[in-house]
Amino acid sequence: MRTNLYWHLLLVAILLLVSVPFVVPIAWMFLSSFKTGAEIFSNPFQIEFAKLSLDNFREIFVKYPFAHQYLNSLYILAIVIPITTLLSALAGYAFARLRFWGRDVLFILTLGAMMIPSELTAVPQFVLFKNLGAINTHLPVILLQIFSATGALAVFLMRQHFITLPKELEEAGRVDGLSHWGVYWYIMLPLSRPALVTVAIFAMLNSWNDYFNPLIYLNSEPKLTLPLALQRFTDPLGGVFWNLTLAGSTLVAIPILLLFLLAQRQFVASLASSGMKG
Amino acid sequence: MRLQRQEQLTGLLFALPYALGMLVLVILPLLAVWVISGTSWSLLDEPRWVGLNNYQQLLHDPSFYHSLTVTVLFTVGILALNLSSALGLAVLLNQKLRGIALFRTIIFSPVVMPVVAWALVWKFLLQPEGPINQILASAGVRGPNWLFEPSLALWLLVVIEVIKAVGLNTVIFLSALQGVPKEMHEAAMLDGATPVQAFFRISLPLISPTMFLVFIVTLIGALKLFTPVFVLTGGGPAGATTTLILFMYKQGFSFFEFGYASTVAVVLFVVVLGLTVLQWNLRKRLVFYEN
Repeated sequence: MRTNLYWHLLLVAILLLVSVPFVVPIAWMFLSSFKTGAEIFSNPFQIEFAKLSLDNFREIFVKYPFAHQYLNSLYILAIVIPITTLLSALAGYAFARLRFWGRDVLFILTLGAMMIPSELTAVPQFVLFKNLGAINTHLPVILLQIFSATGALAVFLMRQHFITLPKELEEAGRVDGLSHWGVYWYIMLPLSRPALVTVAIFAMLNSWNDYFNPLIYLNSEPKLTLPLALQRFTDPLGGVFWNLTLAGSTLVAIPILLLFLLAQRQFVASLASSGMKG
Repeated sequence: MRLQRQEQLTGLLFALPYALGMLVLVILPLLAVWVISGTSWSLLDEPRWVGLNNYQQLLHDPSFYHSLTVTVLFTVGILALNLSSALGLAVLLNQKLRGIALFRTIIFSPVVMPVVAWALVWKFLLQPEGPINQILASAGVRGPNWLFEPSLALWLLVVIEVIKAVGLNTVIFLSALQGVPKEMHEAAMLDGATPVQAFFRISLPLISPTMFLVFIVTLIGALKLFTPVFVLTGGGPAGATTTLILFMYKQGFSFFEFGYASTVAVVLFVVVLGLTVLQWNLRKRLVFYEN
């Protein structure tokens, strides 16, 4: 029994040590947000609660278009999540449970789209959107978010889910005179909440993190989304205002981290399923 | 007959929005990349057909070979560190201990941390006068300018990326470990095996299919990693962290050499496709246990 106690203590010590690189950067970001630019370098290891202030947050909202950029990211999220979820559920359902001409070809194309890193098709996409006059608009950012690899993965995950539902449900619905749409909408979709949440989580994280496309398509301050905006807290010589950068990073990270803490099981299950299901 | 027609129509209508979107935005661009790779085309010119010229040029381009080397080192580094850490962490988190779930949360939280925020925090920590060097200074060591040391920068990126992403593979390994039947372990222990022996002789072989699949998924992920590298070093110092995907980005969107960038894209695409086909064939044969 005594060895057991020692073993437990040792285990806790190891775990605490191992946790450091995972938890310290996040904690540091959070705490530094409340310090002045001078303080985060002059005494990085001290937290004087009396000195903590919200000045950084005030400054990024007053002197920079950060509020505007935050809203950009939020409204893109508000478009990308529902559209990805709804359309991928529809397509996934068709691939899983309906027989129609061209189904297999379309599904193989979907699998192809899922596997292609979206960066590789950037040049032709850029040429396409340039010809459409969509440079420095959010249109390419939104469309590529919905239809690129993430969207294809969403379709695939929805299909894998719909395949598992029993056939009797469908038959019962059809006997009761429901159309295919009716079966889908009234019977199948309500049974699909976990899969829909998984897809929504993917869409959310990918949209919130999207860097490559905004980098290519967006070039004016009011159009920027958060990942790019975080790198704009600089002086004209390119020196970084770290206090503002960390405050901004905190505001970008906190909502997602809170969501994760609230729905941890769901997040872990969803993300772990990405490369493993089939 | 009419019923079937109805099903045909419904199916097509259901699949159409995604099918169209992907056709226009992914499949056609992918075909276009192959065509554009046969042209010389910069932003302001018309494309000129040059056949396999770009490929010849690529084969004689030292910076291409350099970024190929960087990519291989980077990928091998990420694979080695990620998989070994994930396995170690999974074994740690598989111990019986009250409050172990809290540690699982801690290990996983960087996974959901926004990519750019994570990169910027590390960029700050690694400043020449930053916290990490201040800790070293208090121990009497003069810390380097981390991200500007060509010999260090790439390995730092590996470490920073693994800390961020390892939680995902950890929980996958953890659920695989928990899928190992307890009886087998107990039987081995009764036969006089130590816990360490039991792990290497029983658990490890049983979770090796999962490990193999994770290996491929992590490999593909490392190959296309862009954002953290771009934010932390931008491919520098002196090109020491310019991976293939950054090389492609620079050709395409810094120099606007669309033809040459597409050639790099084709090369990368062939590599990723090969790995993906491998992953799929494995996935069909291997079962992943979910709890």
